[in-house]
Amino acid sequence: MAAVNFPRALRDGVLGAVVAAALALPMMGFRLVDSSQALTLGFRFDWVLWAALVVGIGRFVLSLSRDALPGRLPVLALPNWGERFPKARLYVGWGLAGFAIALPFLPFADRSLVDKATLVLIYVMLGWGLNIVVGLAGLLDLGFVAFYAVGAYSYALLATKLDLSFWLCLPLAGLFAAGFGVALGFPVLRLRGDYLAIVTLGFGEIIRVILQNWQDFTNGPAGISAIPRPTLFGLTFTANAPAGKTTFADYFGLDFSGDHRVIFLYFVILALALFTNLFTLRIRRLPIGRAWEALREDEIACRSLGLNPTTIKLSAFATGAMFAGFAGSFFATRQGFISPESFTFIESAVILAIVVLGGMGSQIGVVLAALLLVGLPEWFRELQQYRMLAFGGAMVLIMLWKPSGLLSHRAPTIRLGKEKAA
Amino acid sequence: MSHTPLLEVEHVTMRFGGLFAVNDLSFTARPRQITAIIGPNGAGKTTLFNCITGFYKPQVGRITLHQDQGPVYLERLDDFDIAKKARVGRTFQNIRLFARMSVLENLIVAQHNTLMRASAFSLAGLLGLSRYSKAEKLGVDKARYWLDKVGLLHLADEDAGSLPYGSQRRLEIARAMCTDPLLLCLDEPAAGLNPRESLELNTLLTGIRDEHGIGLLLIEHDMSVVMGISDWVVVLDYGKKIAEGTPAAIRADEAVIRAYLGEPDEAEA
Repeated sequence: MAAVNFPRALRDGVLGAVVAAALALPMMGFRLVDSSQALTLGFRFDWVLWAALVVGIGRFVLSLSRDALPGRLPVLALPNWGERFPKARLYVGWGLAGFAIALPFLPFADRSLVDKATLVLIYVMLGWGLNIVVGLAGLLDLGFVAFYAVGAYSYALLATKLDLSFWLCLPLAGLFAAGFGVALGFPVLRLRGDYLAIVTLGFGEIIRVILQNWQDFTNGPAGISAIPRPTLFGLTFTANAPAGKTTFADYFGLDFSGDHRVIFLYFVILALALFTNLFTLRIRRLPIGRAWEALREDEIACRSLGLNPTTIKLSAFATGAMFAGFAGSFFATRQGFISPESFTFIESAVILAIVVLGGMGSQIGVVLAALLLVGLPEWFRELQQYRMLAFGGAMVLIMLWKPSGLLSHRAPTIRLGKEKAA
Repeated sequence: MSHTPLLEVEHVTMRFGGLFAVNDLSFTARPRQITAIIGPNGAGKTTLFNCITGFYKPQVGRITLHQDQGPVYLERLDDFDIAKKARVGRTFQNIRLFARMSVLENLIVAQHNTLMRASAFSLAGLLGLSRYSKAEKLGVDKARYWLDKVGLLHLADEDAGSLPYGSQRRLEIARAMCTDPLLLCLDEPAAGLNPRESLELNTLLTGIRDEHGIGLLLIEHDMSVVMGISDWVVVLDYGKKIAEGTPAAIRADEAVIRAYLGEPDEAEA
């Protein structure tokens, strides 16, 4: 046991308190008071004092305990579950899927919960799409929201101008987005890492600026409204059936309820997301999926083995973009209204954060990260203005605890396993 | 057959600015032979390899690979086509494995083009057709054969990056062999190996030459490897060929001793 260094602990504590006070003064020390006539400035210096005391004492205790306890504090060391139980991932995956299917029928599920779950699932799907580009192929894409926007506008325009149904537009939107993926892919073929990130960032902004300014085609910043809702084999989810149509409630002899549509939309995005997941799991075991991962590891080695990096990169961009396109057209039909506002850079950043936080390339990791990044702020709403503080704190803790993402263990796509002896 | 060369390098010049890394170099390599390229550091050996495998395009000269179907001119092909169509495999001086993929996956990726055709560009594979799973099984069999050859069968499911250095070198050779090359270019395969591993490498390389009937091109500083297994040695200095011949002849060559080998008793070391 090392000797307790009292003066140093005291110095650490005082220093911590001073820093906390300096930070807290502008952030917590002042507030605007809304009196009946005008806004006046109020003071909360007691809060600053409390913040300084908490940080100072905490720092002092931490510094003391570091001397008193042998070795490192084991606070943040957690076992790597994925490595210890290779099968667990499979069961967790099936468990999550089963829970997701049952969710709308569980007793505690109300309309707002299903709605939040729908939002989380949109991001899960976007995360899985981006996971192909970033996690598997290793191409850092900061403009992923562009493909989401292309999908959303494809559906909105096709549905409002040509009167096509959601189910016909869905594959078309995916195709358009994939086409844009290839269009982005060509100029960035030679770029990697930071340079690729900058160009994709620019691409995302270009798409948004075009949507904002091409008044005749996209209706500019006003956006597109009255986007048709999807139907279930022609059954609508409205209170009164439009001419020549039947409503879902009438057909099944139910009382009309707005919940039906919310639950229906939930199942649509759940099906889309599960499709994305199955596709990715499958393609990882195919030559093209392995080529994506090989490209992430070493492009020069790929070339020396006869792999054409052009087709591999373009296919990764196109596949990832296609799923963003699907998600985009779902977003458009769910909202009923879209505008360029919904497709800003922050969306790309959130999707990328989901992939990175989940652990690059991990499918279940993306689900957990989407729950954290999209779900948490929703549930933190009760904390009002401290919502983002709690959110930021959670992020910092996770990155301390799992710096390479929640699930970073990668299982090989093919094993010699038992055959070894043969 | 042995009269036709496998690889013909004619008047190749590769210039970087004013520096002639390879200067008007001509030599041939025969099938079923190990041709070693030696020379002091900076003599242009790796540059020559990069020209042959398409990573550099030489400003002057022609590089021909003679296949049964006719000659292929390598300087006209992209690097990945040289591996795919001309069937020239290579390894790297600083090992380039897919570190976070398993040993087996490394060897399966090497068979990408075969498997891609079998999976009908992934469509048959996505639909789960048996045609692809059969092809994949053949691929695994080939991988297992080469893993056995290089003594890594028991490590097949480990991450390639976690292997010890010598094993990584052998795995890289196995990976290149999984592309079914006619010519295998090895850039310093013995670098960093201990004497025992070096000896095992000799056995592996002569085995590849004798059993698989392909030509090997070898850059190496380890004279026990070069003199032990080469059938022909080409010596470079400042981008030019200063001698070529059998190992015995090279060992006695005045110019080579001056430029590279040093005094005879040092060369034995």
